[in-house]
Amino acid sequence: METNAYIDPIIFGDNQFFGINHMSENKAQALAEKFRDLKAITDVIDTAYDCGINAFMLNTHDRAMDICDHFRKDPGRYPDLCLYPSMPYAHKYANAVAEKGIFGALKDSIFSDSSTKDIFGLLTKGGSLIFSKDMMKVMQMLIDIEMKIFRDLNVRVMFLQNIVTDLLLGFGVKEVFVEFATYITDKYHVEPGFITMNMPKLVDFLLDCGIENPIVCSAINRVGYFMNPNIQDYENTLTEKRFRPIAMSILASGAVNPEDAVEYVCHKLNIRSIVFGASSRQHILETRQLVEKYL
Amino acid sequence: MLRAGIIGFGRMGITHFSIFNTHPSVKITAVCEPSAAMRTMLNKYLDINVFSDYQEMIAEAMLDFVVISTPTDSHSEIIKCATDNDLHVFSEKPFALTAAEGKKILKHLKNKNLVNQVGYVNRFNEVFMEVKRLLDEGAIGEVKNFHSEMYGATVLKDSKSSWRAKRKTGGGCMYEFASHCIDLVIYLLGKPDKVMGSIMQRIYSSDAEDLVSSSFVYANGCSGRIMVNWSDETFRKPTNIVTIFGTKGKIVADKHTYKIYLKEPNHNNRFHKGWNTRYITDFAKSVRFYVRGNEFTRQLDYFVDCIEKGHMNNISSFAEAYKTDAVMEEIANDANRLSS
Repeated sequence: METNAYIDPIIFGDNQFFGINHMSENKAQALAEKFRDLKAITDVIDTAYDCGINAFMLNTHDRAMDICDHFRKDPGRYPDLCLYPSMPYAHKYANAVAEKGIFGALKDSIFSDSSTKDIFGLLTKGGSLIFSKDMMKVMQMLIDIEMKIFRDLNVRVMFLQNIVTDLLLGFGVKEVFVEFATYITDKYHVEPGFITMNMPKLVDFLLDCGIENPIVCSAINRVGYFMNPNIQDYENTLTEKRFRPIAMSILASGAVNPEDAVEYVCHKLNIRSIVFGASSRQHILETRQLVEKYL
Repeated sequence: MLRAGIIGFGRMGITHFSIFNTHPSVKITAVCEPSAAMRTMLNKYLDINVFSDYQEMIAEAMLDFVVISTPTDSHSEIIKCATDNDLHVFSEKPFALTAAEGKKILKHLKNKNLVNQVGYVNRFNEVFMEVKRLLDEGAIGEVKNFHSEMYGATVLKDSKSSWRAKRKTGGGCMYEFASHCIDLVIYLLGKPDKVMGSIMQRIYSSDAEDLVSSSFVYANGCSGRIMVNWSDETFRKPTNIVTIFGTKGKIVADKHTYKIYLKEPNHNNRFHKGWNTRYITDFAKSVRFYVRGNEFTRQLDYFVDCIEKGHMNNISSFAEAYKTDAVMEEIANDANRLSS
């Protein structure tokens, strides 16, 4: 299982739109307020697109659906658009799991999607039987539900979101990773990717699974923030293992200045693709120039 | 190699499994879970022994320690069975359903050389660990007053189906949420000598409280207030905020940042006079394997470390968690008294 599709050097991140800031809860709140209106989000996306950034990361969040609708409404406006979504949006499931348990949350999720209701009704005659007998089938259904958000749009890589990737990595069940990769590739002709907080361990594991030259997105910054077990193992894995790294959190939530951040990631580590989020034209242009300087 | 068994395979059980399963000195050999569907799945995908009865698991699986991540009302009896069989125990919070049950377990544990820990993860969060160090150093002088707040969007409607929505099974905002907030106060400042003005208020739930607030009074002249609301949808994730006022300054901290105001500079800690902000990126340390947050791995690795080194003086021991149980009970009694 190996493909080598082009990965954009700059992927525009979306955490800022959803009020996510890893360093400060006040900042996160301020962001949520700023991007309360969809128009505030699409204005920034349009600005980024007009600055020559075609690649956008999207978490499968409620706002992601609205953003996709915005793209679909005017395809002529975004001829070169390509998306790098991740799934599932774990916080959406977390409360459901707390309330109804794991199987309850899965069932709700699948039942709430009307197109799967009929087929699922047939399969669930034995209560939760389907879940235990064929977890892979359940995963396929969940992928189908989340992929619908991106219908008619150009998806380049579909990522497994980090909480799920890392939880499953801890379990070490190879079938899940192989099945995710195969299903995404075969059914949607989209490259599978994995977001992680444990990049060295995940890369070794994916290679062990036979997923060759995998796409792995992880925090990479010169202060080692969100880099487990340590920065040295990251640097070693980058030199020694064959995979396609994508760097996120390069600024370590503001602990590193942009020039040093890009110099470290693109020049010193020779990484060809980064995720960054920004809210102003000035900031977008500056980051683009930096990447072009060091890449 | 330590042989581990996990009892209860819900959200926390799964997280603990993932973290322990990657630990170089731990082998998870058994899981106990009441759901037949989950057991079938575990048998299919994992190389472990799966049980539906924890007593059977403890008797047969030749374990060194167990992890208890079941509803709170079952903690006491499982802990008793595990410690009777000389197993070290990591239990999810809160410790027991009543202070009397907790006391009985502590008595039962006396003279047994067993590591015991309760999953109060805030004690392993880098910011709160740093705040604790500063308080112990006397950086803000004598503590006179504090606020400890916790908010989250966990319950936004009445959920009758879950054990978490019923107080008698250990659900409700007090056991599930406020326990973290109270434990954080006890960790940082000790157990209050008296609680007063307590309120347990329903917002959405019909069988449990969604909001808890109370005033804490200490014999040394310190006082403070806790405010916990798990039905506040303005918070994307459960959020703890502590504000601590002392004679020489003040600290405001959440899981990611702390600000310290000092009347005089503190050269040892490189603080200026006035406000100083420190972000988690300034002192965060990586963990060997990350799932959901550094503190989850740090607390379990610490537990294993205590077993390996024979350290019984655990930072989040049953004896510490008992203090939180006792305070929760006092708050509930106080709130009942006031409302009747």
